[in-house]
Amino acid sequence: MSTIEKDAPALKSKLNKAEVKRQRVLLIVAGLYVVYGIIFYYLPLFGWIMAFQNYKLKDGIFGSQFVGFKWFKFLFDDKTFLRDLRNTLGMGVINLVATTVTAIGFAILLSEVRNVMGKKIVQTISYLPHFLSWIVVTSIVRDAFATKGMINELLQGLHIIKEPISYFMHTKYFWPIVAISNVWKETGWNAIIYLATITSIDPSLYEAAAMDGAGRWQKIKHITLPGIRSTIIILLIMNIGNVLNAGFEVQYLLGLGVLKPVSETIDIYVLNYGMANFSLGTAAGIFKTFIAMILIFLFNFIAKRAGEERLF
Amino acid sequence: MKSKKIIALALACTLSVGAFAGCAKKKSESISDWTMIAFMAGKELNEGNEIQEELAKKTGVRLKESWNTSQDVASAVGTMIASNDLPDLIDGGNGSKMLAEAGMLVAWDDYLAKDEYKNLKEMFSDKQWELFRQADGHIYWANVFGKTYGEPKSRGHNDEAFWVQVRVLEWAGYPIIETLDEYFDLLDSYAKANPVNADGVEVIPYTALCEGWRYFCVENAPEFLDGYPNDGSVIVNLDDPDNPKIEDYNVTPTAKMYFKKLNEVYNAGIMDPEFATMDYDTYIAKLASGAVLGMCDQNWDFAQINNTFIDKGYKELGYNYVPLGLVAEKGQTKNQWHAYADVPNVSSGIAVTTKCNDADKAFKFLNQMLDQEIHDLRFWGVKDVDYLVDENGLYYRTEEMRANWQNDAFRAKHVCNYSYLPQWGGTHRDGKNAMKPEDQESEFFATLSEPLKKAFDAYGYTSYGDFLRSEHITQLGFWYPMYSHSNDMDSTTDYGAAWLKMGDCKHEWLPVVITSKDFESDWAAYQAAYAECKPELFLAEMQKELDRRAALGK
Amino acid sequence: MFKKLTKSKMSGWDWAFVICNTTFLVLFCCVTLYPVLNTLAYSFTDGSEAILKNVHLVPRKFTTSAYKKIIFEMTGFRQGLIVTVSRTFLASVLSLAANALLAFVISRRNFIFKRSLSLFWVITMYANGGLIPSVILMTKLHLTGTFWVYIIPGLVSAFNILVLRTYMSSLPDSYEESAQLDGAGHMTIFARIISPLCKPVYATVFLFVAVYHWNSWFDAMIYNRLKPQNTTLQYELQKLLSSLTQLNPTADSSGKTANMTTEIQVRAAATIATMLPIICLYPFLQRYFVTGLTIGGVKE
Repeated sequence: MSTIEKDAPALKSKLNKAEVKRQRVLLIVAGLYVVYGIIFYYLPLFGWIMAFQNYKLKDGIFGSQFVGFKWFKFLFDDKTFLRDLRNTLGMGVINLVATTVTAIGFAILLSEVRNVMGKKIVQTISYLPHFLSWIVVTSIVRDAFATKGMINELLQGLHIIKEPISYFMHTKYFWPIVAISNVWKETGWNAIIYLATITSIDPSLYEAAAMDGAGRWQKIKHITLPGIRSTIIILLIMNIGNVLNAGFEVQYLLGLGVLKPVSETIDIYVLNYGMANFSLGTAAGIFKTFIAMILIFLFNFIAKRAGEERLF
Repeated sequence: MKSKKIIALALACTLSVGAFAGCAKKKSESISDWTMIAFMAGKELNEGNEIQEELAKKTGVRLKESWNTSQDVASAVGTMIASNDLPDLIDGGNGSKMLAEAGMLVAWDDYLAKDEYKNLKEMFSDKQWELFRQADGHIYWANVFGKTYGEPKSRGHNDEAFWVQVRVLEWAGYPIIETLDEYFDLLDSYAKANPVNADGVEVIPYTALCEGWRYFCVENAPEFLDGYPNDGSVIVNLDDPDNPKIEDYNVTPTAKMYFKKLNEVYNAGIMDPEFATMDYDTYIAKLASGAVLGMCDQNWDFAQINNTFIDKGYKELGYNYVPLGLVAEKGQTKNQWHAYADVPNVSSGIAVTTKCNDADKAFKFLNQMLDQEIHDLRFWGVKDVDYLVDENGLYYRTEEMRANWQNDAFRAKHVCNYSYLPQWGGTHRDGKNAMKPEDQESEFFATLSEPLKKAFDAYGYTSYGDFLRSEHITQLGFWYPMYSHSNDMDSTTDYGAAWLKMGDCKHEWLPVVITSKDFESDWAAYQAAYAECKPELFLAEMQKELDRRAALGK
Repeated sequence: MFKKLTKSKMSGWDWAFVICNTTFLVLFCCVTLYPVLNTLAYSFTDGSEAILKNVHLVPRKFTTSAYKKIIFEMTGFRQGLIVTVSRTFLASVLSLAANALLAFVISRRNFIFKRSLSLFWVITMYANGGLIPSVILMTKLHLTGTFWVYIIPGLVSAFNILVLRTYMSSLPDSYEESAQLDGAGHMTIFARIISPLCKPVYATVFLFVAVYHWNSWFDAMIYNRLKPQNTTLQYELQKLLSSLTQLNPTADSSGKTANMTTEIQVRAAATIATMLPIICLYPFLQRYFVTGLTIGGVKE
């Protein structure tokens, strides 16, 4: 685990007979997994053909009529789809930033707690909302932000606002509410990974820093954050690939009529228009994969350039 | 060592699963254990349900019903076809057509021609059966709901209406309320006189739900206000009876009048300020608290508040709702809020699949479901246990029997009505009783609360339908209801895509229009956005279907 | 020693930080605990009250009817429980083994296909063919309608491989090198040297997989719709919940029913029932992964 070994230049693997022979077992195992991966993950991708067809259940994937890029055109000619793409990206990025920052912050604050029992209790409580379904969470969020709800009462009590705000009647509050809901539900669960990474940092580093008279903030800045830096980067790259999966349930449950222009995501669009139209749903799926792969490659490349950890 | 133990344990677990799968119950050979799926909400029965066993003895079929609402019908049907994994019987809902096209259903034609299956044949007239015929020339399913045997007996109104708490009518001296203006004036004046309920809850004169698919509560009133029946997606104009014409109720003068009225009452504070942002649970909570004086809704959508009304004694305070059949203009006699005629929804129904190993037996089973004895067992239960017969041959229930039939646990172990198999409403074959207990006169009046009884007496009404003052039209247009066509639409066709967009547009704009500070300009903007959805494509398709059906009826 | 040192050195700022931090964390706990307690309260509230949505932390008109409903009225409760426990346990053990072995291969420093293999699995996280092709595949493989459809398709997952790979890469090479000098093969090194060092990360992956399997119901619906012997607990709960939305008796019929359950209340009870086993499992795993979960990538 020591940093010296990690920084040693990796042995360049040479593709020669001796090396192949030496890695025989590894290659066989890897080969078996590739077969598994092809069967269970790559083979179903033949379904992508549907996106280029007028897919009919009775005709099946091999009998349906080909229509080229008709469904992709359908998507990109539809103002609603483009609006939903914007919403998805917007909420995806805000959620990603908000949940990452809060999870890291929470993990660091919690790691500063010295009492082991307290630490464990706080951690256990904090991840519980992860197991609540969105329908339960949104019902509470809706009550809290209602005209006579907790938030309005609090803000009025503190004399920050005079009249109660009808949060769900104005489009500008929706994205922040979704972000807050996500933070509330997932901070504790997301923090597990960071917290564990922090606890695996060599304690002698802190000890040495303390000897040098470093304060709490300096230790966080110079030891803790660098210690979890690679984790942050790897998780960010993986999650950036997921921004187009910004969600479905929370937006669907909270975004009623007036909020439609800002609340609908691609997944909701597919639910509305892809019902009984498998071709359209598949086309939207391919588009999402395409964007995800571009983002992943882009950010993996940036990470490589910056000399940081990377995914592949 | 430890890992070996773990693996051993895991294997043991798995084996036990296999063992459970293996130990099938001992069942007599003559009884077929079949499965059925319906894409509707429903409760599964317990193993060994008493009436189910009785039915199995009589029919030779024990049907395991499954309900599927966790997945949209199209994907569910899609996966079932893809895996060739079908039940013996199915109600395919909106996926019925896909199942038939994929060759998964058994045609009814041969059976309908045979005398052995005359109960099934009796369900519809020859002409009506033609409506079920698919493009390939066969009939694959029959809708089991909304069918009346003999005289109608129903006294309820399960459908849409503008509802009002009965105490409001009592307070106003039981007036006749005809128009939106009268309705909102009544609600407003009652609320001004009685702003707070006995338990301190502030009254809400009027609310409207517009969440998800339930936004019909705010959306489709214009069609009824103009005196049309619930064709769902369109109006069928019969000014020229030989040439019925499709009309769009979203753009009629009545539609504008209605939303303008809602806008007016919203700005006057008569309408719930939260209406546009509340979800269904919040809406029901408001209704159940007795705060809401009136709303527009389908009865089945809010009937669950009844238990709270009984529990909290609200029933005796007159919080229960009665329906009003409002019309666009005072004195208008065109009014079809309450349907006195049968409504066959031809787009779906019960079907036998090709997976069923004995189709003859399946149709015999469906036919038997309509035998009076079996029908009584399904809906009334076991004589002397679930109902009694008085000296005049009329069926009735005691308070305890009624309570039992409302108790979920009791129902799961005793009651089996196979609610998606063929059935009748209306009059029993004995000419006296009702086919179903909820339509029996004695049952109906036995459960009315005091304030409701007073209202029934004051107006001289004997059913909820009377409150709606609808025309007694017992023969609706042969095409009715047109929603059975629009229900099937999806984005694979341009008219289907237009239909979906129209819905989306209304969802977004109606709350804007109602809450507007400048109604005229927002209404114009809404109508412009609506026109962009190309409703003409949808309407043309509906006209085509209407013409097709009308021709079949001639 | 270290502890004492910091304590004695605590300045005013440090004290302020500790107080603020503690206050913040306590507040945070209250905010996150509220929905859980609220759900708990609803699960013990009678339906006629729950429908009014005015329950906060204390149940109104206390009843256990929702739990009774889940246990006694759910037709597939017992069988669902057996299948869910079996699949959770079996899948967690097998997935862990399968993912660990692959992660071991990819994490070998000089493995020839290190990068391409990583990419091969990363792609599987973002590309999928959709529902119907998956169903066709499972049917062709004769997995539809069997218990194994829960175990085999999800056995290897890219996310877990990346978690394991990173941890293994961070282990010092010296262990492996000395074992190789002793003539140990790759498999021996994996089983005897690497795995014992990976207990913390194994516990984490075990938790991830277990939580996933405990909560799944969609696969039960898709692949075992007509096979009650292969139903899962969550699928049965799902069905129970959707049955509660079924059409209710008409408005004024009815004598009074003794215990009324509503969707809100049973949903709450089902949520609690779902959380409980995971909460029980957590403390056993927590001691492992508070000291050793890490995720990272290939370092250039």
